[in-house]
Amino acid sequence: MANNESLDNVVLELRRGVIVLAVLSQLNGEQYGYSLLKLLSDQGLEVDQGTLYPLLRRLETQGLLESVWKLEEARPRRYYVISAEGKKLLPKLKKEWAGIVSTMEKMLA
Amino acid sequence: MKLIDRYIAEVGKRLSLVKGRADIEKELRSTLEDMLEDRAQKAGKSADEAREIELLKEYGTPDQVAATYDPHPYLIGPRMYPFFIKILQIVFFAIAIAFAVTTGIEIVTQAPTLAGREFVRAIGHGLGGIISAAVAAFGNIVLIFAILERVVPNKEFKLDDEKEWDPASLMKEPEPTEVKPWEAILSIVFIFIALSIFNFNSQILGIYTFADDQWISVPVLSDAFFRWLPLMNIAWVAEIILYGLLLRSGRWDLPTRLVSIGIKIFQVVIAYLLFIGPSIFAVTTESLSLGGHLDPEAVKILGAIAQHGSPILMGFIIFVTIIDIIKTVYKLITQRSNS
Repeated sequence: MANNESLDNVVLELRRGVIVLAVLSQLNGEQYGYSLLKLLSDQGLEVDQGTLYPLLRRLETQGLLESVWKLEEARPRRYYVISAEGKKLLPKLKKEWAGIVSTMEKMLA
Repeated sequence: MKLIDRYIAEVGKRLSLVKGRADIEKELRSTLEDMLEDRAQKAGKSADEAREIELLKEYGTPDQVAATYDPHPYLIGPRMYPFFIKILQIVFFAIAIAFAVTTGIEIVTQAPTLAGREFVRAIGHGLGGIISAAVAAFGNIVLIFAILERVVPNKEFKLDDEKEWDPASLMKEPEPTEVKPWEAILSIVFIFIALSIFNFNSQILGIYTFADDQWISVPVLSDAFFRWLPLMNIAWVAEIILYGLLLRSGRWDLPTRLVSIGIKIFQVVIAYLLFIGPSIFAVTTESLSLGGHLDPEAVKILGAIAQHGSPILMGFIIFVTIIDIIKTVYKLITQRSNS
C-alpha cells in the first residue's frame, strides 16, 4: 500500500514536470481549457483539470500564453494560444527535454 | 444547472482573496458545462441532475478546487521563510536581553527585600515576561510576514540561492551603501529593548533612593510622554522592519533611504508634539522631596532639570534628527549621481 502511494507520488511529480512543455507544444492553435484537456488525453497525457486551469492562468501571467474570451454555442469560452514569448521559449524547452530524455535513456539502459 | 450554479458560488466564496475571481468562475462554468454536455452526448442521454452530481463529485469539493487557484496556499512561503526565521532569531534574542536587563534591574533595586521565595518569584516573573513577549512578538512577526508575502511581488524578493554570488566580492572594500549586519542587528536589539521597557516595564524608569531598608522610586516620565507612546511604537516597529530589510539586502537603496527619511520625519513630528506639550518628566521638586531621603540640593537641581529639560531635550532630538535627514538626503543624491 505504502509502495503504491510512493509510486503514485513519484509518477505525479514526473508528470508535473512535463505538463508545461506539453501544454505549450499543443497551443500553436487556439484551444479552450476543456478542448486542451481532451487533446492531451487523446495523445496519452491525462492531466487533472485542477492542475491544468491554474497552470494556464500562471503561464498567461508569465507571458507565455495569451487568452481571449469567445462566445460559441451560446457559451463563452476562454481560448488560449502560445504567445510570441512562449514561441521563443518552446524550442529551448524542447532541446532541454531532448537532453533529459537522452541522459535518462543512457542512465536507465 | 442549479447544482453547477451553487457549486460555482461555493468555489467563488473561497476565492474572495484571489485575483480574477469572476474570470475563474466564468471559466469554471464554461468547463463544467462542456464536460456535462460531452458526457451526456457520449451516454446518449440528457444532462440531468444525476449526471451533474456525478460530474461535480469527480471534479472535487469546492475547497479542493478553490485551493488549486490560490497563489499563496501557505501563510509564509519559501521566499520569505529564511528572512522570517532570521528576524525571529534576532527578535527573540533581543527579548531575552531586554528581559534579562529589566529583571536584573528589578532584582538589584529590590535586593535587600528579595530573599528566598521573593527572589525566585522575581526570576519567574522575568521568565514569564520573556514567554509572553516572545509569543506576542511571534504573532506580530507572523502577521507582518503573512502580509508581506501577499503584497511584495516575487521579483522584489528572491531566494538567496537565486541571487548571483561572486566569491570575489569577499575581497571588495566596503561600499558607502553597504550595511554591516551587526549594525542592523544591534539597532533591532536596542529598539526592542526600548519597546520592551517603555511598553511593559515603564515602572523601572525612576529615580531610586535607598532608605529604611527599602528602595523608593520616583517615576521619571509623565503622562505627556506615554500619551504619544503609540506613535513612538509605530516609528520603532517601522524601524525594525527597515533594519530587517537592510539586514537581508545588505545595502541601502532608494526605497530604503526614502523609508528611512519618512520614519525620521515621523520622529520629528512626534518630538515636536512632545516639544509643544507639557513636560515629559514627571519629576518635580515636590515629588522628590516626599521621601525626604534625597539631598535638598540634589532635589533642587533635579527638579529644575525636569521642569526645563523637556523642551530642551525635544529641541535637541528635533535638531539631531533633522541633521540626520539632511545627511540621508545628501547620501541619496550623491549615490544616485555616482550610479
